[in-house]
Amino acid sequence: MTAGIEALNVYCGVAQIPVRTLFEGRGLDTDRIGNLMMRNRSVGLPFEDPVSNAVNAAKPVVDLMDPADKSRIELLITSTESGLDYSKSVASYVHEYLGLPATCRVVEVKQACYAATAAVQMAVAYVASGISPGAKALVIATDVALVDERGQYAEPATGAGAAAVLIGEDPRVLTVDLGAFGNHSYETLDSARPTPTFDIADSDRSLFAYLDCLSNCFEDYRSRVEDVDFATTFDYLAMHTPFAGMVKAAHRKLMREFAGIPPARAEEDFTRRVLPSLAYPSVVGNLCSGSVYLALCSLIDHAELAELDGGARVGLYSYGSGCSSEFFSGLVDQRSAEALAPMRIGEHLEGRCELTFEEYAAVLPANLTCLVPEQDRTVDVTAYDDILGRARIDRDLLVNTGTKDYHRTYEWLNT
Amino acid sequence: MTTRDDVELVVRQQIAEILPSVPIEGDRHLKDLGADSVDRVEILLGVLDRLGLRAPLSDFRDVPNVDALVDVLAERVS
Repeated sequence: MTAGIEALNVYCGVAQIPVRTLFEGRGLDTDRIGNLMMRNRSVGLPFEDPVSNAVNAAKPVVDLMDPADKSRIELLITSTESGLDYSKSVASYVHEYLGLPATCRVVEVKQACYAATAAVQMAVAYVASGISPGAKALVIATDVALVDERGQYAEPATGAGAAAVLIGEDPRVLTVDLGAFGNHSYETLDSARPTPTFDIADSDRSLFAYLDCLSNCFEDYRSRVEDVDFATTFDYLAMHTPFAGMVKAAHRKLMREFAGIPPARAEEDFTRRVLPSLAYPSVVGNLCSGSVYLALCSLIDHAELAELDGGARVGLYSYGSGCSSEFFSGLVDQRSAEALAPMRIGEHLEGRCELTFEEYAAVLPANLTCLVPEQDRTVDVTAYDDILGRARIDRDLLVNTGTKDYHRTYEWLNT
Repeated sequence: MTTRDDVELVVRQQIAEILPSVPIEGDRHLKDLGADSVDRVEILLGVLDRLGLRAPLSDFRDVPNVDALVDVLAERVS
């Protein structure tokens, strides 16, 4: 039995701001941009929310499926730390706007930036179990940013958007190595979203936990899989990317510990095995639980897969504050590149409108209240016509138009 | 036998490698010396490497300054 990712896409909004512009606007120390390794970050607009991001990521995937395949989506899981209600899931709205079959389980999961990988692994196991031959599962990681100047150096690293991962028996994008995984979890308060309007973060606690978990996950992976060598088993690596510089530090740590290679000699390996996965994250920012799948998209779109006989093995690492983490692996090949190409992710990211610092600051107050439940609210989408007009997005987008008696309302916007 | 002085030398050498030409004052946190989060990770991993120690990074997250870091490491080495 094979199982894994059949289709994959990301949606990272219609707007972005250069990281340098944000540093200068906030008066941050620009010497720190080097270690951040980021050029731009996606910026959500006030009509974008966890539902619209999820639908906009998944719609191109669903639209490419033939009706018979679409009718076999038996499981829809949204993964988010941007919940809209204590009871009603983001998935319930997503199910409606994607036109998914009524014979589909609908559920939402939460574990900070890790939850999507838990959902992917559960979905892979469901498909691989054979209890419903031909079944498919759609996992969508979706989030919005709740960050302003209080976030200090976290603000330029925070992204917004969603990743849609279709799981099935024909894993054109990534054939998951079944049974090859390693986990590490423990309770800690490294970062959290205690209210619908702001995040808290202890940067050292979070980064140290990310790195400790990475080593422990890899140890656990190695204990389950024979003859694993960190330096040679994985042709590529794609990791949760809080910011690209963090992944560089993570790679150096693994090279020290598991390959005996000091940092001074790790650069070539980093460039060859890791850098392709950072092209998209370095212009989007942290996509929360979608981050590792954005890195996987980046890898597939930038690695030389055509030159590889028999495909390439990718080591994937997902970490979520709180904390839970996983190292797992799978195979990609030229078919992966062909399956991802129609999503035109690079074009989408290039087409985002560049915001000035003043425009960025102006959209923050409304963004910070995006998740606050209000019985009745109207979002004036036309107020952002100028920004939308400057974006080069040639597709219909779902937008949030407000709430009516607590029910969130949406429209399709022809861009 | 590695003494506290040996550990201090290793810590200072590693800080100097990551933060060249920064005066290292023992009563200050690495953050206050200008080390960002990636620098702090590299300093800690480098020191652990040089001392031949294996320890979770999380063990050092509440260390208040360079002198305290030396103390904690010296205790582990001995």
